[in-house]
Amino acid sequence: MKRSKGSATHRHRALPVLLLLLSAQLPRPAVAEQPPWAPGVERALDPSSRLAVGAARVALHNYNFHAASPSGLRALGQVRKATVKSIPGVGQKCYLQFTTEDYRSRENAGSCLATVLYPKKKSPPAVNIKCINTKDQKQIQEEDNRLYQKLKRQTKPITGSNIPDSFGNIEPALEPVWALAVAGSSYMMWEKSTEKVGYFMTQVKSVKQWMRKDDSLEFDYVILLHEMPTQEMISCHMRLIWLPGHPLKVKYTCDSENHRLEDGSGMESGSAAGIIREREENF
Amino acid sequence: MMSRGGRGEVPWVDNPRPDPAHPHLIFSPSQLDFWLAPRGTGDPVDVRVPFPSLQPLKAHLEANGIPYSIMIEDVQVSGGGGSGGRGSRHGGGGGLTLPRVPQALVDREQMQMLRRRRVLPLSTDAFDYSSYHNLDEIYAFMDLLVAENPNLVSKLEIGRTTENRPLYVLKFSKGGTNRPAIWIDTGIHSREWVTHASGVWFAKKIVQDQEKDEGLASILDQMDIFLEIVTNPDGFVFTHTTNRMWRKTRSKRSGSLCVGVDPNRNWDAGFGGSGSSSNPCSETYRGPYADSEPEVEAIVNFVKNHGNIKAFISIHSYSQLLLYPYGYTTTPVPDKEELHQLAKEAVAALSSLYGTTYKYGSIISTIYQASGGTIDWTYNQGIKYSFTFELRDTGRYGFLLPASQIVPTAQETWLALKVIMRHTREHLY
Repeated sequence: MKRSKGSATHRHRALPVLLLLLSAQLPRPAVAEQPPWAPGVERALDPSSRLAVGAARVALHNYNFHAASPSGLRALGQVRKATVKSIPGVGQKCYLQFTTEDYRSRENAGSCLATVLYPKKKSPPAVNIKCINTKDQKQIQEEDNRLYQKLKRQTKPITGSNIPDSFGNIEPALEPVWALAVAGSSYMMWEKSTEKVGYFMTQVKSVKQWMRKDDSLEFDYVILLHEMPTQEMISCHMRLIWLPGHPLKVKYTCDSENHRLEDGSGMESGSAAGIIREREENF
Repeated sequence: MMSRGGRGEVPWVDNPRPDPAHPHLIFSPSQLDFWLAPRGTGDPVDVRVPFPSLQPLKAHLEANGIPYSIMIEDVQVSGGGGSGGRGSRHGGGGGLTLPRVPQALVDREQMQMLRRRRVLPLSTDAFDYSSYHNLDEIYAFMDLLVAENPNLVSKLEIGRTTENRPLYVLKFSKGGTNRPAIWIDTGIHSREWVTHASGVWFAKKIVQDQEKDEGLASILDQMDIFLEIVTNPDGFVFTHTTNRMWRKTRSKRSGSLCVGVDPNRNWDAGFGGSGSSSNPCSETYRGPYADSEPEVEAIVNFVKNHGNIKAFISIHSYSQLLLYPYGYTTTPVPDKEELHQLAKEAVAALSSLYGTTYKYGSIISTIYQASGGTIDWTYNQGIKYSFTFELRDTGRYGFLLPASQIVPTAQETWLALKVIMRHTREHLY
C-alpha cells in the first residue's frame, strides 16, 4: 500500500460514512453489468459480489507468489469490505479488506488490505497488498526450510503426475511439490486474471525435477487451471526455481487456444511441451 | 430399453415386485411376450417387449406406479434355429408366431444379468459412501436399494444417452397416483464427482429416514421424490476412463472435431443467448438446438409427462452456492422474494452442521450469465421451487474434492434439501 499507516486508518473511518451516503442515494442496480458511474467516485461493492471476490483472489495470487513460501500459502476467507473506483483512461481500481485462511489447514491466517487495479488495456492487474500474520512467521520459515531440506536430500529427480489424483488424494511425499506448484501457479493466475475472468489451480498434471548444481530447486510442471466463467481447463507449462528466502522464479506458457482439439486420449499435455525445454536453464 | 437406431431391437423387462393394487397389464398377448407369465396378483412377471409396444407399456407402468426393471436391455432376435429347450418359458402360447431366440444367447444374457447382480457389495449397508464410485457400481447400488426396499423405491428408465446407456431415475413413493413430486438430479456435469456421490448418499438417507425422520415421513406421505443420480452417464464414464475433467455430454456431430454439449446450456430457456457458446469445442457449447442432447430431452419428456412436479433441484459443484432462476436474463422471477427467503433458510440449515458458508441469489447475479440452463426451463414450466446447488468447495480442490469430504458435504446439503422439500409440501400449488 502506498499510503502510510496513518492515512490508511483515516480512510477506513471515512468509509462507512461514504458507504451510507451512497447506498441512500442510489437504487440497487437491476443489471448485471456495472452502470456508467462518474469517474473518480469510489462506490461501495457488495463484499460477496463477483467483482469484489474476484479482486480479492487476484490480490491473494499476487501475495502467494511474492511470499514464495509453500508453508505460508493463503486462501481467501471472506471479503469484509469492498469499494471500486473508475479511473478514466486507466481502468478500475478495487479497494478490499478480506480475511484469509491457511491454504491447507483452513485455520484463520489473518486479514489483508489490498488494492487491485484492472487496467483498461490488456495487462496484468496491479496489486498492492498487506496482510496481518496470525501464524508465527519464524515458524513458517522453519517449515519452508524443512521442506527444502527434504527435497534437496533426494538423489534422484522427483517426478509425479495427477496431483491431486482423481479422488482428491495427494501423496504426502509430493505435498511440498504440490504446494510449490500452487505458489508458482499464483503467478500465472495473477497475470491472466481480469475483472471478468478468474482462475483456480485444479491439478498438477505432471511434475519433473531438473537437478541443479547450485542450491536452488527447479521443477518443470504441467498445470491445469480452471477458468471461470468460461469453465475451460487451461493447460500451462511452468518452470519454477525456488530457494527459501528468495523470490520465486517462474516462466510459463499456457495453451492460448482454449478450444483445443479433443483426441480421445486426454488433452491436457500442453502443446508448448517442447518450447520450455529449449530455453536456457539458468534464468 | 428404448434403443436408438431402430434395428428392431427387443428388450426384456422383468417385474419382480408386484403391486396388488395394479394386478394386471392391459396389453393383449400378441403385443407382449410373457416369459414368466402372470400367475395371479402379487406374482412377478417377466416380459419380452416388442419394440412397438415399448413406449405404451412404459407409459402405462409409470403412470400406474408399477415398478419394473430392465434385466436384459436388448435381446437379439434371430430368424430361426431350434430353441426348443426354452420353449416352455415363452408365454403367450397357441397361435402366436414369435421369433425364437437362440439358447446360447439367452444363456449369455442371463449370465451377464447374474454377474451384474453379484457386484460387491451385497447390500446398501455394506456400500462405501465415503469413496467415489464408477457407473457400474452406482447402477448396482441402485438395484440393491430397489431390491431391499420394494415398497418404497423403484427404478425408472427415462431414456438413453448418445452412447446408448440407460438413464435411470429412482422413484421414492409411498403410493398414490401421480402425486406432487420433488425432482433432484446430480451429475449433469460429469466432472463434478461429489454430486453423484452425494446423490447416492441421499438415496440411502431417504430409505433410512423415511420412518425415523418426521419431516421426511410427512413429505413422503404426500409427495414422491425422483432422484437421477447419474444424469450424464457417458460423460461420467469418460471421466473415469479418459479425462477426469470432462464436463459435457459425449455427442458427436459431423462437421466438428470436438465432442459434447454442455447439458446445462441445452435447455429451451433463453437458448442461444449470451452465457453459452456456439463453438462446439467450448465447455459451454449450447448444442445445435435446444434439447438436442438425449440426456436433456429425457428429463424434459419426463417432466412434461409427469405434469405434477412441484420442486426441481439440480446439483452441481463447486463454489458453495444456492441459486434460483434466472441465469439467462436479469429480469427477476415473479417469485423472487419467496425463493430468496427460502434459499436463505436452506443455506442457514446447511451451515448449521459444519459451518460451511454458502452464498445465495439468482444465477445471473450470483455466479454468471448462463443461457439455456436447467432451472430456468423448469421454472418457466411452472415449477416454482427450482434451485441449483453448487456444492463444496470454493476452489482449493475444486472438482478433485477429497473423498473424506463426500459424507459431510452430503449431510449438510441434505439439511438444505429438506428445508426446500418441507416448504414445497407446506405450500403446494
